[in-house]
Amino acid sequence: MASYDSDKIGKLHRHLHTHLPSDPALRVKALESLLVEKGIVAQDSIDAWVELYAEQIGPKRGATVVARSWLDPEFRDRLLEDAGQAIKEFGFEGHATEHLKAVENTREVHNLVVCTLCSCYPFAVLGVSPIWYRSAAYRSRAVKEPRAVLDEFGVTLPEETRVRVWDSTAELRYLVVPERPAGTEDWTEDQLSALVTRNAMIGTERDLKVA
Amino acid sequence: MDGIHDLGGKDGFGPVPVDTPDFQHDWERRQWALSEIAAAPGGTIDWWRHGIECMAPMAYLSLPYFEKWCLNEMAHYVDQGVFSTDEVLAGHPDAPGEPARSFNAEASLQFARRFNISYAVEMSTGPEFELGDEVRTINTPVSGHTRLPGYARGHTGRVVAYHGGHLFPDAGARGTHEGGHLYTVEFTASELWGEDSPDAVCIDLWEAYLVRA
Repeated sequence: MASYDSDKIGKLHRHLHTHLPSDPALRVKALESLLVEKGIVAQDSIDAWVELYAEQIGPKRGATVVARSWLDPEFRDRLLEDAGQAIKEFGFEGHATEHLKAVENTREVHNLVVCTLCSCYPFAVLGVSPIWYRSAAYRSRAVKEPRAVLDEFGVTLPEETRVRVWDSTAELRYLVVPERPAGTEDWTEDQLSALVTRNAMIGTERDLKVA
Repeated sequence: MDGIHDLGGKDGFGPVPVDTPDFQHDWERRQWALSEIAAAPGGTIDWWRHGIECMAPMAYLSLPYFEKWCLNEMAHYVDQGVFSTDEVLAGHPDAPGEPARSFNAEASLQFARRFNISYAVEMSTGPEFELGDEVRTINTPVSGHTRLPGYARGHTGRVVAYHGGHLFPDAGARGTHEGGHLYTVEFTASELWGEDSPDAVCIDLWEAYLVRA
Protein backbone atom coordinates (compact mmCIF):
# COMPACT_ATOMS: atom_id res chain seq x y z
CA MET A 1 0.00 0.00 0.00
CA ALA A 2 1.39 3.37 -1.04
CA SER A 3 1.83 5.81 1.84
CA TYR A 4 0.94 8.97 -0.13
CA ASP A 5 3.29 10.71 2.30
CA SER A 6 5.49 13.34 0.59
CA ASP A 7 7.99 13.49 3.46
CA LYS A 8 8.41 9.72 3.47
CA ILE A 9 8.97 9.39 -0.28
CA GLY A 10 11.37 12.37 -0.24
CA LYS A 11 13.34 10.80 2.59
CA LEU A 12 13.55 7.48 0.73
CA HIS A 13 14.79 9.26 -2.38
CA ARG A 14 17.55 11.04 -0.48
CA HIS A 15 18.58 7.89 1.38
CA LEU A 16 18.80 5.77 -1.77
CA HIS A 17 20.60 8.43 -3.78
CA THR A 18 23.17 8.86 -1.00
CA HIS A 19 23.84 5.17 -0.40
CA LEU A 20 23.61 3.53 -3.82
CA PRO A 21 26.70 3.37 -6.07
CA SER A 22 26.76 6.56 -8.14
CA ASP A 23 26.93 4.89 -11.58
CA PRO A 24 23.38 4.90 -13.05
CA ALA A 25 24.07 1.65 -14.91
CA LEU A 26 24.71 -0.08 -11.57
CA ARG A 27 21.56 1.43 -10.09
CA VAL A 28 19.40 0.12 -12.91
CA LYS A 29 21.16 -3.24 -12.72
CA ALA A 30 20.29 -3.42 -9.01
CA LEU A 31 16.63 -2.69 -9.71
CA GLU A 32 16.56 -5.23 -12.55
CA SER A 33 18.15 -7.95 -10.38
CA LEU A 34 15.70 -7.29 -7.58
CA LEU A 35 12.69 -7.53 -9.86
CA VAL A 36 13.90 -10.56 -11.77
CA GLU A 37 15.01 -12.51 -8.69
CA LYS A 38 11.79 -11.70 -6.87
CA GLY A 39 9.82 -13.02 -9.85
CA ILE A 40 8.15 -9.70 -10.67
CA VAL A 41 9.46 -9.56 -14.23
CA ALA A 42 11.39 -11.96 -16.49
CA GLN A 43 14.69 -11.08 -18.12
CA ASP A 44 13.33 -12.12 -21.53
CA SER A 45 10.41 -9.73 -21.18
CA ILE A 46 12.78 -6.82 -20.52
CA ASP A 47 14.84 -7.79 -23.59
CA ALA A 48 11.67 -8.04 -25.70
CA TRP A 49 10.53 -4.58 -24.57
CA VAL A 50 13.90 -2.99 -25.32
CA GLU A 51 13.76 -4.58 -28.78
CA LEU A 52 10.20 -3.35 -29.30
CA TYR A 53 11.16 0.27 -28.72
CA ALA A 54 14.34 -0.08 -30.77
CA GLU A 55 12.64 -1.67 -33.77
CA GLN A 56 8.95 -0.92 -33.89
CA ILE A 57 7.74 1.90 -31.68
CA GLY A 58 9.16 5.26 -32.71
CA PRO A 59 8.59 8.43 -34.75
CA LYS A 60 7.88 6.40 -37.91
CA ARG A 61 4.47 5.75 -36.44
CA GLY A 62 3.70 9.44 -36.00
CA ALA A 63 5.04 10.12 -39.50
CA THR A 64 2.67 7.53 -40.97
CA VAL A 65 -0.25 9.19 -39.20
CA VAL A 66 0.76 12.63 -40.50
CA ALA A 67 1.22 11.39 -44.08
CA ARG A 68 -2.20 9.71 -43.99
CA SER A 69 -3.80 12.96 -42.81
CA TRP A 70 -2.31 14.76 -45.83
CA LEU A 71 -3.65 12.17 -48.26
CA ASP A 72 -7.03 11.33 -46.79
CA PRO A 73 -9.24 14.31 -45.83
CA GLU A 74 -11.68 12.08 -43.94
CA PHE A 75 -8.87 10.61 -41.88
CA ARG A 76 -7.60 14.15 -41.26
CA ASP A 77 -11.03 15.09 -39.86
CA ARG A 78 -11.02 12.06 -37.57
CA LEU A 79 -7.46 12.84 -36.44
CA LEU A 80 -8.28 16.44 -35.56
CA GLU A 81 -11.50 15.37 -33.87
CA ASP A 82 -9.92 12.67 -31.67
CA ALA A 83 -6.34 11.64 -32.41
CA GLY A 84 -6.38 9.03 -29.63
CA GLN A 85 -9.13 7.18 -31.52
CA ALA A 86 -7.76 7.84 -35.00
CA ILE A 87 -4.38 6.19 -34.35
CA LYS A 88 -6.18 2.99 -33.34
CA GLU A 89 -6.85 2.52 -37.06
CA PHE A 90 -3.12 1.68 -37.27
CA GLY A 91 -2.94 -0.20 -33.96
CA PHE A 92 -0.61 2.55 -32.70
CA GLU A 93 -2.41 3.17 -29.42
CA GLY A 94 -0.35 2.68 -26.26
CA HIS A 95 1.51 4.60 -23.60
CA ALA A 96 0.13 8.15 -23.22
CA THR A 97 -2.04 8.24 -26.33
CA GLU A 98 -5.59 7.71 -25.09
CA HIS A 99 -6.08 11.48 -24.88
CA LEU A 100 -3.90 12.40 -27.85
CA LYS A 101 -4.65 15.68 -29.68
CA ALA A 102 -3.37 16.60 -33.13
CA VAL A 103 -2.64 20.28 -33.78
CA GLU A 104 -2.01 21.46 -37.33
CA ASN A 105 0.52 24.02 -38.42
CA THR A 106 -0.75 26.62 -40.87
CA ARG A 107 0.67 29.75 -42.44
CA GLU A 108 -0.75 31.69 -39.46
CA VAL A 109 0.02 29.32 -36.58
CA HIS A 110 3.06 27.32 -35.56
CA ASN A 111 2.57 24.77 -32.76
CA LEU A 112 5.24 23.82 -30.24
CA VAL A 113 4.87 21.14 -27.55
CA VAL A 114 6.53 21.07 -24.13
CA CYS A 115 5.95 19.65 -20.66
CA THR A 116 7.26 22.17 -18.15
CA LEU A 117 6.39 20.10 -15.05
CA CYS A 118 7.97 16.77 -16.02
CA SER A 119 8.56 15.49 -19.55
CA CYS A 120 5.21 14.10 -20.72
CA TYR A 121 5.45 12.74 -24.25
CA PRO A 122 3.29 10.59 -26.58
CA PHE A 123 5.60 7.56 -26.39
CA ALA A 124 3.48 5.15 -28.42
CA VAL A 125 3.55 7.36 -31.53
CA LEU A 126 6.96 9.05 -31.16
CA GLY A 127 9.05 6.56 -29.15
CA VAL A 128 11.21 7.67 -26.24
CA SER A 129 11.68 11.45 -26.01
CA PRO A 130 14.90 13.11 -27.20
CA ILE A 131 17.34 14.40 -24.59
CA TRP A 132 16.75 18.05 -25.47
CA TYR A 133 13.00 17.63 -24.87
CA ARG A 134 13.67 16.63 -21.24
CA SER A 135 16.36 19.28 -20.69
CA ALA A 136 15.82 22.04 -18.13
CA ALA A 137 16.67 24.59 -20.84
CA TYR A 138 13.86 23.46 -23.15
CA ARG A 139 11.33 22.98 -20.37
CA SER A 140 12.01 26.39 -18.86
CA ARG A 141 12.31 28.44 -22.04
CA ALA A 142 9.81 26.96 -24.53
CA VAL A 143 6.88 28.74 -22.84
CA LYS A 144 8.66 32.04 -22.24
CA GLU A 145 10.74 32.58 -25.35
CA PRO A 146 9.58 30.08 -27.98
CA ARG A 147 11.02 32.09 -30.87
CA ALA A 148 14.50 32.12 -29.33
CA VAL A 149 14.24 28.36 -28.75
CA LEU A 150 13.06 27.79 -32.33
CA ASP A 151 15.94 29.88 -33.58
CA GLU A 152 18.35 27.48 -31.84
CA PHE A 153 16.74 24.68 -33.87
CA GLY A 154 17.27 26.73 -37.03
CA VAL A 155 13.62 27.74 -37.39
CA THR A 156 12.87 31.37 -38.17
CA LEU A 157 9.20 32.22 -38.32
CA PRO A 158 7.67 34.84 -40.59
CA GLU A 159 6.22 37.76 -38.63
CA GLU A 160 2.65 36.86 -39.54
CA THR A 161 3.05 33.39 -37.99
CA ARG A 162 1.95 33.18 -34.40
CA VAL A 163 3.41 30.57 -32.02
CA ARG A 164 1.03 28.49 -29.96
CA VAL A 165 2.91 26.60 -27.24
CA TRP A 166 1.14 23.57 -25.73
CA ASP A 167 2.24 22.84 -22.15
CA SER A 168 0.98 19.29 -21.57
CA THR A 169 0.15 19.58 -17.89
CA ALA A 170 -2.67 16.98 -17.91
CA GLU A 171 -2.96 13.49 -19.47
CA LEU A 172 -3.56 15.03 -22.89
CA ARG A 173 -0.66 14.63 -25.29
CA TYR A 174 -0.01 16.65 -28.39
CA LEU A 175 1.14 15.70 -31.88
CA VAL A 176 2.03 18.53 -34.24
CA VAL A 177 0.91 17.98 -37.84
CA PRO A 178 3.38 19.91 -40.01
CA GLU A 179 2.38 21.44 -43.34
CA ARG A 180 2.71 19.24 -46.41
CA PRO A 181 5.61 20.55 -48.50
CA ALA A 182 4.93 21.90 -51.97
CA GLY A 183 5.95 19.70 -54.87
CA THR A 184 4.74 16.45 -53.27
CA GLU A 185 1.31 16.35 -54.93
CA ASP A 186 1.66 12.91 -56.49
CA TRP A 187 3.71 11.30 -53.73
CA THR A 188 2.72 8.05 -52.01
CA GLU A 189 2.11 7.68 -48.30
CA ASP A 190 5.48 5.99 -47.83
CA GLN A 191 7.31 8.77 -49.66
CA LEU A 192 5.49 11.42 -47.66
CA SER A 193 5.99 9.79 -44.28
CA ALA A 194 9.74 9.62 -44.94
CA LEU A 195 9.76 13.44 -44.95
CA VAL A 196 8.17 13.81 -41.52
CA THR A 197 10.75 14.15 -38.77
CA ARG A 198 10.27 13.64 -35.07
CA ASN A 199 11.16 17.27 -34.33
CA ALA A 200 8.50 18.44 -36.80
CA MET A 201 5.91 16.50 -34.79
CA ILE A 202 7.04 18.25 -31.59
CA GLY A 203 7.24 21.61 -33.35
CA THR A 204 10.97 22.32 -33.30
CA GLU A 205 11.18 21.91 -37.06
CA ARG A 206 8.80 23.66 -39.47
CA ASP A 207 9.49 23.42 -43.19
CA LEU A 208 10.01 19.80 -44.15
CA LYS A 209 12.79 19.23 -46.63
CA VAL A 210 12.00 17.65 -49.98
CA ALA A 211 15.16 15.98 -51.28
CA MET B 1 4.29 21.52 -4.88
CA ASP B 2 6.37 24.64 -5.37
CA GLY B 3 9.42 22.55 -6.20
CA ILE B 4 12.38 22.66 -8.52
CA HIS B 5 10.51 20.56 -11.11
CA ASP B 6 8.26 23.52 -11.93
CA LEU B 7 10.63 24.87 -14.56
CA GLY B 8 8.40 26.88 -16.89
CA GLY B 9 9.67 30.45 -17.29
CA LYS B 10 12.80 30.02 -15.15
CA ASP B 11 15.90 31.75 -16.49
CA GLY B 12 19.54 30.75 -16.59
CA PHE B 13 19.58 27.27 -18.09
CA GLY B 14 21.32 28.41 -21.26
CA PRO B 15 20.85 27.08 -24.78
CA VAL B 16 18.78 23.97 -25.53
CA PRO B 17 21.12 21.01 -26.22
CA VAL B 18 19.73 20.66 -29.74
CA ASP B 19 22.68 18.73 -31.11
CA THR B 20 22.83 16.07 -28.40
CA PRO B 21 22.81 12.74 -30.23
CA ASP B 22 19.77 10.54 -29.75
CA PHE B 23 21.95 7.79 -28.37
CA GLN B 24 20.51 5.93 -25.42
CA HIS B 25 22.64 3.95 -23.00
CA ASP B 26 21.68 0.34 -22.56
CA TRP B 27 20.73 1.07 -18.94
CA GLU B 28 18.35 3.79 -20.12
CA ARG B 29 16.57 1.40 -22.48
CA ARG B 30 16.34 -1.19 -19.71
CA GLN B 31 15.03 1.33 -17.18
CA TRP B 32 12.33 2.38 -19.65
CA ALA B 33 11.34 -1.29 -19.94
CA LEU B 34 11.35 -1.80 -16.16
CA SER B 35 9.19 1.27 -15.56
CA GLU B 36 6.73 0.10 -18.20
CA ILE B 37 6.39 -3.59 -17.56
CA ALA B 38 7.33 -3.77 -13.90
CA ALA B 39 6.20 -0.46 -12.45
CA ALA B 40 5.79 -0.37 -8.69
CA PRO B 41 2.31 -1.77 -8.02
CA GLY B 42 -0.58 0.23 -6.61
CA GLY B 43 -0.35 3.96 -6.26
CA THR B 44 -1.53 6.41 -8.90
CA ILE B 45 0.22 8.15 -11.78
CA ASP B 46 0.22 11.40 -9.84
CA TRP B 47 1.69 9.83 -6.72
CA TRP B 48 4.42 8.38 -8.97
CA ARG B 49 5.11 11.82 -10.49
CA HIS B 50 5.05 13.42 -7.05
CA GLY B 51 7.76 10.98 -5.95
CA ILE B 52 10.16 12.50 -8.51
CA GLU B 53 9.18 16.00 -7.39
CA CYS B 54 10.19 15.07 -3.85
CA MET B 55 13.81 14.33 -4.84
CA ALA B 56 16.46 16.69 -3.48
CA PRO B 57 16.54 19.69 -5.88
CA MET B 58 20.25 19.26 -6.68
CA ALA B 59 19.67 15.63 -7.65
CA TYR B 60 16.58 16.56 -9.65
CA LEU B 61 18.55 19.00 -11.79
CA SER B 62 21.70 16.94 -12.21
CA LEU B 63 20.65 13.30 -12.67
CA PRO B 64 19.80 11.85 -16.09
CA TYR B 65 16.08 11.43 -16.72
CA PHE B 66 15.97 7.63 -16.53
CA GLU B 67 18.16 7.57 -13.43
CA LYS B 68 15.45 9.61 -11.72
CA TRP B 69 12.93 7.03 -12.88
CA CYS B 70 15.12 4.26 -11.44
CA LEU B 71 15.39 5.93 -8.04
CA ASN B 72 11.68 6.65 -8.09
CA GLU B 73 10.76 3.02 -8.78
CA MET B 74 13.06 1.95 -5.96
CA ALA B 75 11.59 4.51 -3.54
CA HIS B 76 8.05 3.43 -4.44
CA TYR B 77 8.83 -0.28 -4.04
CA VAL B 78 10.19 0.45 -0.56
CA ASP B 79 7.30 2.77 0.28
CA GLN B 80 4.86 0.00 -0.59
CA GLY B 81 6.71 -2.60 1.43
CA VAL B 82 7.64 -4.83 -1.53
CA PHE B 83 11.35 -4.46 -0.78
CA SER B 84 13.25 -3.14 2.22
CA THR B 85 15.82 -0.37 1.83
CA ASP B 86 18.54 -2.93 2.59
CA GLU B 87 17.35 -5.22 -0.19
CA VAL B 88 17.44 -2.32 -2.65
CA LEU B 89 20.93 -1.28 -1.57
CA ALA B 90 22.10 -4.92 -1.84
CA GLY B 91 20.47 -5.30 -5.28
CA HIS B 92 19.03 -8.69 -4.30
CA PRO B 93 15.86 -9.77 -2.49
CA ASP B 94 16.27 -11.65 0.82
CA ALA B 95 13.94 -14.36 -0.45
CA PRO B 96 13.83 -15.02 -4.21
CA GLY B 97 10.41 -15.69 -5.75
CA GLU B 98 9.18 -18.01 -8.49
CA PRO B 99 10.50 -16.79 -11.86
CA ALA B 100 8.00 -14.55 -13.66
CA ARG B 101 6.43 -15.73 -16.91
CA SER B 102 8.25 -14.21 -19.85
CA PHE B 103 6.69 -12.82 -22.98
CA ASN B 104 8.14 -12.54 -26.46
CA ALA B 105 8.28 -9.71 -29.02
CA GLU B 106 4.79 -10.27 -30.42
CA ALA B 107 3.27 -10.46 -26.94
CA SER B 108 5.10 -7.22 -26.00
CA LEU B 109 3.66 -5.46 -29.01
CA GLN B 110 0.13 -6.41 -28.00
CA PHE B 111 0.90 -5.63 -24.36
CA ALA B 112 2.15 -2.14 -25.35
CA ARG B 113 -1.23 -1.33 -26.90
CA ARG B 114 -2.89 -1.81 -23.53
CA PHE B 115 -1.01 1.14 -22.06
CA ASN B 116 -3.49 3.57 -23.60
CA ILE B 117 -5.02 4.20 -20.20
CA SER B 118 -8.01 6.51 -20.01
CA TYR B 119 -8.02 9.13 -17.28
CA ALA B 120 -11.57 10.23 -18.05
CA VAL B 121 -13.93 10.37 -15.07
CA GLU B 122 -17.71 10.56 -15.24
CA MET B 123 -18.86 13.80 -13.59
CA SER B 124 -22.13 14.21 -11.69
CA THR B 125 -22.26 17.97 -12.28
CA GLY B 126 -21.82 20.03 -15.42
CA PRO B 127 -18.80 22.23 -16.18
CA GLU B 128 -18.71 25.74 -14.74
CA PHE B 129 -17.13 27.33 -17.80
CA GLU B 130 -17.86 27.42 -21.52
CA LEU B 131 -15.65 27.84 -24.55
CA GLY B 132 -14.64 31.47 -24.88
CA ASP B 133 -15.02 32.26 -21.16
CA GLU B 134 -12.38 34.42 -19.56
CA VAL B 135 -10.92 32.66 -16.52
CA ARG B 136 -8.23 33.50 -13.98
CA THR B 137 -5.96 30.92 -12.36
CA ILE B 138 -5.74 30.76 -8.60
CA ASN B 139 -2.52 31.95 -7.01
CA THR B 140 -2.01 29.93 -3.86
CA PRO B 141 1.12 28.12 -2.69
CA VAL B 142 0.63 24.35 -2.88
CA SER B 143 2.54 21.94 -0.64
CA GLY B 144 1.35 18.73 -2.33
CA HIS B 145 1.20 17.71 -5.98
CA THR B 146 -0.46 20.02 -8.47
CA ARG B 147 -0.42 20.47 -12.23
CA LEU B 148 -0.98 24.22 -12.22
CA PRO B 149 2.48 25.54 -13.16
CA GLY B 150 3.86 28.45 -11.17
CA TYR B 151 4.30 30.68 -14.21
CA ALA B 152 0.59 30.45 -14.98
CA ARG B 153 -0.73 31.36 -11.54
CA GLY B 154 -2.83 34.48 -11.06
CA HIS B 155 -3.19 35.04 -14.81
CA THR B 156 -6.20 35.53 -17.05
CA GLY B 157 -6.81 33.39 -20.11
CA ARG B 158 -9.56 32.13 -22.37
CA VAL B 159 -11.12 28.66 -22.40
CA VAL B 160 -10.40 27.15 -25.84
CA ALA B 161 -11.34 23.50 -25.21
CA TYR B 162 -13.29 21.39 -22.73
CA HIS B 163 -12.33 17.74 -22.23
CA GLY B 164 -14.94 16.42 -19.80
CA GLY B 165 -14.01 15.02 -16.40
CA HIS B 166 -10.43 13.84 -15.85
CA LEU B 167 -8.75 12.37 -12.79
CA PHE B 168 -7.76 15.32 -10.59
CA PRO B 169 -3.98 15.08 -9.96
CA ASP B 170 -3.90 16.96 -6.66
CA ALA B 171 -6.26 14.33 -5.20
CA GLY B 172 -4.71 11.43 -7.14
CA ALA B 173 -1.33 12.09 -5.51
CA ARG B 174 -3.06 11.65 -2.14
CA GLY B 175 -4.56 8.33 -3.26
CA THR B 176 -8.05 9.69 -3.87
CA HIS B 177 -9.84 8.88 -7.10
CA GLU B 178 -11.63 12.12 -7.85
CA GLY B 179 -12.62 13.75 -11.12
CA GLY B 180 -12.52 17.40 -12.15
CA HIS B 181 -13.63 19.22 -15.28
CA LEU B 182 -10.62 19.69 -17.53
CA TYR B 183 -10.15 22.61 -19.93
CA THR B 184 -7.47 23.97 -22.22
CA VAL B 185 -6.91 27.63 -21.40
CA GLU B 186 -5.03 29.90 -23.78
CA PHE B 187 -2.94 32.69 -22.26
CA THR B 188 -1.40 35.39 -24.39
CA ALA B 189 2.35 35.74 -24.07
CA SER B 190 1.76 39.40 -23.21
CA GLU B 191 -0.39 38.37 -20.23
CA LEU B 192 2.16 35.85 -18.95
CA TRP B 193 5.41 37.66 -19.62
CA GLY B 194 4.42 41.30 -19.98
CA GLU B 195 5.91 41.63 -23.45
CA ASP B 196 4.28 42.71 -26.64
CA SER B 197 3.95 39.44 -28.55
CA PRO B 198 1.50 37.71 -30.90
CA ASP B 199 2.26 34.34 -29.28
CA ALA B 200 0.29 32.30 -26.76
CA VAL B 201 0.60 29.37 -24.37
CA CYS B 202 -2.15 26.75 -24.05
CA ILE B 203 -2.30 24.90 -20.74
CA ASP B 204 -4.55 22.01 -19.69
CA LEU B 205 -6.13 23.05 -16.40
CA TRP B 206 -8.70 21.60 -14.03
CA GLU B 207 -11.69 23.60 -12.87
CA ALA B 208 -10.38 23.76 -9.28
CA TYR B 209 -7.49 25.91 -10.58
CA LEU B 210 -9.81 28.46 -12.18
CA VAL B 211 -12.15 31.28 -11.21
CA ARG B 212 -14.25 33.45 -13.48
CA ALA B 213 -12.28 36.51 -14.57
